[in-house]
Amino acid sequence: MRPTRREFLWAMGATAASVGLRWSSDLVWAPQVPDDLGWAPGTEQFVNSACLICPARCGIRGRVVDDRLVRLGGNPFHPMNAGGLCPRGIAGVQMLYHPDRIASPLRRVGERGADSWEEIGWDEALGQLGERLQSLRATGRPEALALMAGYCAGSMHDLWRQFLRSYGSPHYVAEDYDDGTSAVMELMHGIARRPGFDLERAGFVLSFGSPLFESWWSPLQAFAAFAGPDGSDDGRTRFVQIDTRFSRTAAHANDWVGVRPGTFGVLALGIAYVLIRDELYDAGFVERHVSGFEDYTDREGERRQGYRSLVMRNYRTEEVSALTGVPVARITALARAFAQAEHSVAVFGHEVTHAPSGLLSGLAVHSLNVLMGNVGREGGVLFGNDPPLDPLPDPRIDAVARAGLERGSLARTPAPFGGGDPASRFAAAVGDSPSETIDTLLLYYANPLASSPRPDAWREALERIPFVVSFSPFLDETTAHADLILPDLLAFERWQDAPTPVSYPYPVWGVARPLVAPPPGGKHAGDAMLAVARQLGGSVAASLPYDNVELLLKARARGLFRARRGMTLGDAFELEHHRQMEERGWWLPEHTEFEAFWDELVQRGGWTDLFLDETDPARLARTPSGRVDLTPAPLLATLAAAGRGGALYMDVAETSAATTDEFPLRLLPYRVSTLSSGTVALERWLAETPGLFPEVHWDPWIEVAPATAEAQKLGDDTMVWVVAASGRYRARLKVFPGTAPENVCAPYGLRHPDGELANPLQLLDGSSDALTALPNWSTTFVRLEPA
Amino acid sequence: MRREVAEKLASLPPDERVLLRPLVDTSRGFYVMAGVFGAISLLGLVSYILQVRYGLGRTGLNRPGYWGIYIICFVFFIGISHAGTLISAILRVSKAEWRRSITRSAELITVLVIGFGAIQPVIDLGRPDRVLNVLLHAQWRSPLLWDVISIGLYFMSCTIYLYLPLLPDLAIIRDSGIKAPRFYRFLAAGYTDTPVQRHRLERAIGVLSIVVIPIAVSVHTVIGWIFAMTLRPMWHSTIFGPYFVMGAIYSGIAAILVAMAVLRRVYHLENYFKVVHFDYLGRLLLILSLLWFYFTFAEYLTAFYGGEPGEMRTFWAKLTGTFAIPFWAMVLGCFVIPLALMSRQATRTPVGTTIAGIAVVIGMWLERYNIVVPTSVNPRWEVESIGHYLPSWIELSIMAGTFSGFILLYMIATKIVPIVSIWEIKEGRAVVQEVADRVAKYSESYA
Amino acid sequence: MTRWGMVIDLDRCTGCAACEVACKSENNIATVPPHQAEMGRVMSWMRVLAHTVGDFPDTHLEFYPRPCMHCDNPPCIKVCPVRATYIDPEGIVGQIYPRCIGCRYCANACPFTVKYFNWYGPEWSDSERQHLNPDVSPRTKGVIEKCSFCHHRLQRAREQARAENRDVREEDYQPACAEICPTRAIVFGDLDNPTHHVAELKEDPRAMRIMEDLGTQPKVYYLRARR
Ligand SMILES: Nc1nc2c(c(=O)[nH]1)N[C@H]1C(S)=C(S)[C@@H](COP(=O)(O)OP(=O)(O)OC[C@H]3O[C@@H](n4cnc5c(=O)[nH]c(N)nc54)[C@H](O)[C@@H]3O)O[C@H]1N2
Ligand SMILES: Nc1nc2c(c(=O)[nH]1)N[C@H]1C(S)=C(S)[C@@H](COP(=O)(O)OP(=O)(O)OC[C@H]3O[C@@H](n4cnc5c(=O)[nH]c(N)nc54)[C@H](O)[C@@H]3O)O[C@H]1N2
Ligand code: SF4
Ligand code: SF4
Ligand code: SF4
Ligand code: SF4
Ligand code: SF4
Ligand SMILES: [Mo]
Repeated sequence: MRPTRREFLWAMGATAASVGLRWSSDLVWAPQVPDDLGWAPGTEQFVNSACLICPARCGIRGRVVDDRLVRLGGNPFHPMNAGGLCPRGIAGVQMLYHPDRIASPLRRVGERGADSWEEIGWDEALGQLGERLQSLRATGRPEALALMAGYCAGSMHDLWRQFLRSYGSPHYVAEDYDDGTSAVMELMHGIARRPGFDLERAGFVLSFGSPLFESWWSPLQAFAAFAGPDGSDDGRTRFVQIDTRFSRTAAHANDWVGVRPGTFGVLALGIAYVLIRDELYDAGFVERHVSGFEDYTDREGERRQGYRSLVMRNYRTEEVSALTGVPVARITALARAFAQAEHSVAVFGHEVTHAPSGLLSGLAVHSLNVLMGNVGREGGVLFGNDPPLDPLPDPRIDAVARAGLERGSLARTPAPFGGGDPASRFAAAVGDSPSETIDTLLLYYANPLASSPRPDAWREALERIPFVVSFSPFLDETTAHADLILPDLLAFERWQDAPTPVSYPYPVWGVARPLVAPPPGGKHAGDAMLAVARQLGGSVAASLPYDNVELLLKARARGLFRARRGMTLGDAFELEHHRQMEERGWWLPEHTEFEAFWDELVQRGGWTDLFLDETDPARLARTPSGRVDLTPAPLLATLAAAGRGGALYMDVAETSAATTDEFPLRLLPYRVSTLSSGTVALERWLAETPGLFPEVHWDPWIEVAPATAEAQKLGDDTMVWVVAASGRYRARLKVFPGTAPENVCAPYGLRHPDGELANPLQLLDGSSDALTALPNWSTTFVRLEPA
Repeated sequence: MRREVAEKLASLPPDERVLLRPLVDTSRGFYVMAGVFGAISLLGLVSYILQVRYGLGRTGLNRPGYWGIYIICFVFFIGISHAGTLISAILRVSKAEWRRSITRSAELITVLVIGFGAIQPVIDLGRPDRVLNVLLHAQWRSPLLWDVISIGLYFMSCTIYLYLPLLPDLAIIRDSGIKAPRFYRFLAAGYTDTPVQRHRLERAIGVLSIVVIPIAVSVHTVIGWIFAMTLRPMWHSTIFGPYFVMGAIYSGIAAILVAMAVLRRVYHLENYFKVVHFDYLGRLLLILSLLWFYFTFAEYLTAFYGGEPGEMRTFWAKLTGTFAIPFWAMVLGCFVIPLALMSRQATRTPVGTTIAGIAVVIGMWLERYNIVVPTSVNPRWEVESIGHYLPSWIELSIMAGTFSGFILLYMIATKIVPIVSIWEIKEGRAVVQEVADRVAKYSESYA
Repeated sequence: MTRWGMVIDLDRCTGCAACEVACKSENNIATVPPHQAEMGRVMSWMRVLAHTVGDFPDTHLEFYPRPCMHCDNPPCIKVCPVRATYIDPEGIVGQIYPRCIGCRYCANACPFTVKYFNWYGPEWSDSERQHLNPDVSPRTKGVIEKCSFCHHRLQRAREQARAENRDVREEDYQPACAEICPTRAIVFGDLDNPTHHVAELKEDPRAMRIMEDLGTQPKVYYLRARR
């Protein structure tokens, strides 16, 4: 049958229409459903490990489905964070699956910093590094190798140190997070260790600016204390925050006290004044364990004012109130509350010490703990123990290495009571020495071009170093200037130990183990260095006799096995049971086999020992007199030599210049709680709402008082330049009534969506505390301009 | 125009001659304007395709500014649609003689504008491909569903209500043979204007004009209820049903006035749209402007006296805050201008009423804006931060597209049917005596 | 009758936003690019709202972690034209994503503004897809989503309980936010079951609900901060 013309046309039309529809529907409908996600019913596992994102090193529990990490939660066995986690930790899965990670070694092909690379294999990459290191040693210049390491507490730190020592380089440059507190402890207690704060058992926590709930050594430690034991409302610790800005910590604390910048020490002594005047301090403790409280005669036979006289003469509440801006009644109330609580502890850190009068202010604040006798005991300041790990073998140091080490560090120690900022000092020293003094620089977890307060010193230093190797898995600013990139595995893919920070007074040795398999061809930086050591052979190889980091950790854990105390992590009941047993002098071995012990340790996420023997006098003071010294002689001597004879407990107020017409505002940089590290861009979940302000997404911001914004005619939510004498950066202005009118509070570590870093630390004036050389990070003067 | 057509036209009686002329005589200007509006409509269409393809993300909508231009236009267009039917139905039912020349243009507005209004919520859907779920999974408690139903009914009845009074005119066109004989034979559906047919037709129109009134009232009531049935500040109000109906009629009359003024100019209909028509509609406008003020005042005063914090946040945002400009512009357009112009005989001229009409149309659009946006972006809970909404160019072009689409179809319609009802005009002439008698009867009762 | 509900202790909440991020992780909530975020299109089923009062140094701040209130008399479901949002017999207000037409009426009807709309389809890079939770379907563009009380966890708990021939216990079913909260400010359970912690807490003198006067009967209670 032949179609008629009409039928034919119809058929044609219909075909055309359906084709057209198809085509237009492709045009009109973008795919509505995400493509096949490739999910099949899978096996699910919960794996205990440790979070390596910030120094707190919480215990984590990962939910792993078919070798994909789909969620991170807290390890309920971990005594410090007990199942909780902070947002950064949860967002770790986004760090692990970050789309920008570098998966295989890269060698620079173009100009330095031109971002042109070729992929090479690990053998070739490690071979190249090994040969370079071999030839440095062969030419007798092992000291031309340097390592810049960011945060690496624990065995990675020991591994690097061991490597450099046996290799012969004195240039182990570590950003070791000196918050100035260990200098204070060394002077007063003779214990050169950062203090632990037993927040959980304390009744009252008086924080001098420490951002306990934000970015402190361990926010989860503070959260656990804030939550109180087992969910009940009894026995919860009370928190009072003294701060220069209305921080998140201030907002969450039970109360907060606004104070002028640089006057923490003054306020502390004002409180001490009330304690002494009203006889609220622990006189018995002071009498038995403290020296320097009363006036005394020193070894030269000179009559000296003791602590009591200094405070009573100089820190009357009216004067303190005028300096600090805190009303007299508040000071008195604070002192009473501090004295009356069961256990009270004054917490402080670099917000007190990283200032021109930092060390002295630190002494002033800590003197409150001493006055109340809340030192070396539960609920107060505690000097904990390190986990009794087996040490690495003594490094073998051959002649080449000895010669290298003896040539010493390039950078001099700058101050009598501290090392200040070693990274900046190293950079400056490289800049001052001839090119190629340092031949090879290794960068581990460090991005000094972005994080250093002196990036230009680093830029210059890098120019003088012919060979720069970065272990970063991300192309950060400094890595972009490297010659060779040996990307580390990401956290959650590798073995590493995770000791809790010293702020947590009880030793916990967490173990991070791979939750998911690393990508094919990925390599742990530690394993890579062990391989290089083997390649170098000789004393270097002999000093690091481990096949990989896992075995290194396992070897060290034998120390725990033998220690006859402590336990693998367990639930709250097990932990408490064990603690009470130890308190009574019992310890029951749970394992007779090391292998079983190790397996359980790994499976539970680590090891801990929650009992500290408070009766041990060495926990209180290791000074020659055995007493806590409120007027340490070495410090007095140094001050006298500097012509500041009577300055102890004096000059604790910040003395730097006041605002000027050109720079009418004071910049107060702080660390936001969502930041996981100095310069790593926030994960998307966090970047979306990085702070307190619901309207701020992705952009770095600054906080300005309503009156200030109005006076400067700068609208809420507009972009502004923060201008200081040394530079400027761009941020979004947020009007915030919690900011004092003369201040600009500026979170650091944030990036604009395009990757540009907004770094208020680089506006700082470079001044420092002459006693510790710690940089003044507390403030500088700025003005705001519309951007 | 071809010669024979011109001759045929010339041979018709005077009303037919004038009113059928636009059907066969199209000026260059018409084509130019049609081209312009066609192009803008096309832009709107392309924008919509982009929106469907990429998602509603192409709009300026957000959280909590969930609704914007499309919902504003929806309420606005459906409001305008009350022009016609409601007015022509009320005037018909009340036997207002002066209605005769204006019903057709009003009814046309109605039918076209309902269509353009009804597609707005569909444009606003995140998943237009699932629009049939509204029937498949109907949830009777949803005012949105009531809306679908009442708008559907309204559209059908209005279409019939437009079509029935068209029949005699379609027959006239068919019989005159000036245009597309087959087409008009089909449309006229065998109507020959016998007395019986005429009688039945008038009965049917009479019944429909009564039926259509409650449907029209329901339509805008339900639209008001869409908002009022939520617990949002300045939406959750019992006044919204009647307020919306009143506003709809108001904007409808204003739209007719504007349409009449334009038609009068371009098709030289001075003899049909007389000064008195403008005067009468102007009076209606005056009354409605006062009513508008009454309703608005009542609404805001009650909100103000309640003084609920959630409510007041939106209240002040409108009166003195972010939305002060659209708010006071609305008051200007809906009240000050029409009141000033319409309260004086001297300005109730065609020009004056047209200006007032335009002011009211704009004012009523702004009123829809002031209802939809400020509440949407001002959450009730003061802890939640206030949102913001700025329409994107996609939304603006779709809006421009729908406006031009409407104008374009209206223009085309004037080429298909006479824009003034021929038979009703003629009938009006024929019944002068009867009307005179009727009027005499009213006066008698006074005597 | 089981009525799942939540009590949030504002005295314990430190505003750390762990709950917020845990919810994003558990429920495959998509992030949006910066300019979208700027427009107000961030999705966050749990959002920690902050309310500041007073100038320095007398500033105070209250935090309100805010999930969906799972109202017992939910205005959102009454207005949905297609039954894409519903309340189940145990009081959980759920969403049917494949049916939602994206009219956002429910979003406007919710006085708590807890509904989030997918203005665009979600975007994940190939590597980021790895961390999606296979228990929760990702949403498509053009539909509404909101806190589900981690309903998928209830389903699992039910299956488990059925297999073991017992009832669902308090600890079997805990949503991601409650599980992660470092200060245990979020407590979740059956409001009608006197053995559950929430049942006791909701009777606390500090207990209140947001905008209780609206009569939507939220099943999320807050305990007022004490200080
Ligand atoms: N989550 C997280 N935690 C971390 C880290 C991390 O990367 N992530 N890093 C660790 C490291 S490297 C360090 S160094 C530590 C220390 O880091 P933090 O001690 O947390 O450092 P900041 O936040 O800078 O501390 C300054 C705080 O002191 C208060 N403050 C009081 N007075 C002043 C003042 O006069 N000026 C200024 N600027 N601030 C003042 C501010 O409100 C601010 O909160 O944190 C560690 N903790
Ligand atoms: N802008 C800004 N500057 C800062 C700070 C800040 O917060 N913001 N903080 C200041 C302080 S307190 C400190 S201590 C210093 C810290 O500054 P740095 O010690 O330089 O540390 P980060 O900036 O955290 O840089 C860590 C680098 O390690 C890389 N990295 C990330 N993950 C891994 C991994 O798994 N393995 C390895 N091998 N590398 C990894 C990242 O690429 C990142 O660039 O910065 C100081 N300067
Ligand atoms: S506090 Fe630090 S270690 Fe703990 S979860 Fe957060 S990022 Fe990880
Ligand atoms: S996780 Fe807990 S403490 Fe943190 S914001 Fe949420 S409810 Fe508050
Ligand atoms: S909070 Fe909103 S979305 Fe949730 S149930 Fe109530 S009305 Fe519905
Ligand atoms: S957006 Fe979806 S769930 Fe909400 S009312 Fe519309 S169809 Fe229902
Ligand atoms: S209950 Fe589940 S869905 Fe709801 S906020 Fe908490 S984590 Fe998110
Ligand atoms: Mo640091």
